[in-house]
Amino acid sequence: MRRLLLILKNDVRRHLKSPLAIIIYIIIPLAMTGLIGIIFGPGENENTLPPIQVVLVDHDKSLASRLFLGAFDADQMKKMFQVTVADEAEGRKRMEKGKASAMVVIPERFTLDLLDIKPVTLEVIKNPAEQFLPDVVEEFMNTMAVILSGAVQAFEPEARGIRTMLDLPVDAFPWERLGPEFGKAQKKVVAAMKYLNPLLLSLKEEKTKAAGAKAALSRTDIFSVILPGMAIMFLLFIVQTVMRDMISERQDGKLRRMLTTPLRTWELIGARILGGWLMGIVVLLVMVAFGTLVFHVHWGPFGWFLLLGAVGAFWTAAFFALMNALVRNRNQAGALGAPIILAFSLFGGSMMNPEGMPKAFRTVGIITPNRWFIDGAALIRDGRFPTVSLLVLTISGVILLAFAVPALRRRSTV
Amino acid sequence: MKHLKRIFHIAGNDVRIMVSDKTFFFWTLMFPIFFIVLFGLLYKSSDNAPPAAELIVVNQDQGRWGAYFLEKIKSPGIELKIVATEPAEYNRLIILPPDFSAKIEARKDQALAFKKREDASVKAAARVETRLYQAIARVLSELVLYGEGDLTKFLDKHSEFRDLVQVKSRFPEKTVTVVPSGFDHSIPGATVQFIMMMVMIYGGISVMEERKKGIMGRMLFSPLSTGELFQAKLLGRWIMGMLQALMLFVVGKIFFHLNLGSVPLSLLVIAVFSLAMAALSVFIGSLCTKEDMIIGLAVLLSNVFAALGGCWWPSEIVPQGVRTAAMISPAYWAMDALHKLRFFQGDFSAILPHLGILLGLSLILAFLAGRYFKIRE
Repeated sequence: MRRLLLILKNDVRRHLKSPLAIIIYIIIPLAMTGLIGIIFGPGENENTLPPIQVVLVDHDKSLASRLFLGAFDADQMKKMFQVTVADEAEGRKRMEKGKASAMVVIPERFTLDLLDIKPVTLEVIKNPAEQFLPDVVEEFMNTMAVILSGAVQAFEPEARGIRTMLDLPVDAFPWERLGPEFGKAQKKVVAAMKYLNPLLLSLKEEKTKAAGAKAALSRTDIFSVILPGMAIMFLLFIVQTVMRDMISERQDGKLRRMLTTPLRTWELIGARILGGWLMGIVVLLVMVAFGTLVFHVHWGPFGWFLLLGAVGAFWTAAFFALMNALVRNRNQAGALGAPIILAFSLFGGSMMNPEGMPKAFRTVGIITPNRWFIDGAALIRDGRFPTVSLLVLTISGVILLAFAVPALRRRSTV
Repeated sequence: MKHLKRIFHIAGNDVRIMVSDKTFFFWTLMFPIFFIVLFGLLYKSSDNAPPAAELIVVNQDQGRWGAYFLEKIKSPGIELKIVATEPAEYNRLIILPPDFSAKIEARKDQALAFKKREDASVKAAARVETRLYQAIARVLSELVLYGEGDLTKFLDKHSEFRDLVQVKSRFPEKTVTVVPSGFDHSIPGATVQFIMMMVMIYGGISVMEERKKGIMGRMLFSPLSTGELFQAKLLGRWIMGMLQALMLFVVGKIFFHLNLGSVPLSLLVIAVFSLAMAALSVFIGSLCTKEDMIIGLAVLLSNVFAALGGCWWPSEIVPQGVRTAAMISPAYWAMDALHKLRFFQGDFSAILPHLGILLGLSLILAFLAGRYFKIRE
């Protein structure tokens, strides 16, 4: 046992001498978590989307189009849309530069046709390079169209009156008739206020978790969801890097020389596996510390997470012990290791939320440690003990180890 | 001529060694295809919300207005399911309370509870929400038109709402005619990302190993200059990137009906981008002394550049600050140029600034790579 610890100590010292690769592997998950969290985490105003850039092309330049533009100026709308008035050529240029999601074209005679109670068509030209925001603009315009249609119909006689007024010369218009008309309009406005202020019907979006609905995630929640996935992915990379020494030593003859000393094979193998395991736990703790300090990640009961981390690191060490026993040389280990890790991460949910994946990908994910680690971390975050994850990782880890140790002993004595 | 022949000979040999590697096809083809399929399906599912977005209505209304309001919500894009009590599972749900009609008739304001599940289709939710707002606007317009009369008699006789203002949507002229598929977005993204990763890892490690093993030193015993060797290494890595892009584009064309816009211009963008990555790989390979360090740096840089550059998600949903920061990523310029060609049917002049920036970056990186290029440890 003393010899095992001596080998372990020597290995740790050696890795600490050139820690750059390990440091890079620790930085990557933290950097990726930070980036994804900043992009997808809701900001201070809980708005997950940036303001949508809209170009308004006004061919009408009259009353209705001005009112239309004014609608975008309301406080709530300003948070959602940033409107620029320009011509179509400029609008297209802005779309090409990614500075506009859509262009709204108000046609000529828009006001006159509305006052004539004739159908009018607004055009929404969508940025073809964008996928979501142009549709939001289109839906918003559809709603605006309904509101405008309603307003014109509600004040149809007044609209026709204004239309007549616009056609007649100033001296030919019967101004004395305007008084009673204004009186009627006022009555309508007063009546309308009963429905519109406050709105007789409105929607109240509920963010409660009741009956199957989930509450919205905060930015800290997003970090808490992403970091465990990233952590297990790069834990695999780091343990693989550390444990690849086994192959190097076998390849360059160091192993044979070491075995001429009173060292036993199992001590050597044990030290390497234990080294990988401990390194995994240490790296995970570093990530946990950074995640807590920088991203305020919520891990749930820390003891449970530590247990899950220890089991995850054990599985990883056992897996690479077996892999190193099966491959012939370092190049083969490198060539196989990274694709396996990336495949684990892709299918296991480190690269994206498993719920968003196709079903086939999710099914494959079940055989990856990433999936069980991520599921376990999610349960712990919710305050539940991850029994199934721990059992699956421990049992499969022990099986891997049971195959790895004899295979490594055979390799070491050859 | 001999000079060129020697450069091509060494570059060709580098490519031959790379292609004969068993994992080459996993890295260049299989793994990017997994990415393409996954992201393509994700984009697709976000693009095309279900043909009819489901809305569950808990209609507890004891009057006639509930049914009237539901008529206003009905549309071909909305699938209404009317139930009496709130179910445990749903995507979107609205509750019409028992006093829904009574409150309208008494002209008392009310807010209808609208619940939506967060992980359900965002687009479907937006479609339903918009339709709900439109239904409310229609009912309110009719009420305004009705005026101060007795609302209990409204449903017997009233003026119907007319859609006077219509909205027509389209794409700009001389751009796309059909909605681009998810794969049109995911294939260029995966190609750019994996060129970065592959060229940096393979290219960087081979430069480092050949230096450490003394292979490059031995090469100089032949009539080869250091400059020629450097150019050959650069060319070899550039061919790696081009080869990978060609394979992915061909697979994309055959299996996913990829449309790149102008194929020659798309390849030109990839060519200049690959040159920058080739120079970066030689630079990293010259600086680093350990394989793990190169892999770590390559994974870090390619992932950060890909995320910033719009390879993983559309840049439209990214905050403005991140979009500005994205300009430091070579992937951003390549992706933006590919978008211009694909979605705006852009010509050479449209991508000239992008080519200029990528070429400038290639020259800077090639200068640095040349400056630090070492034959021996």
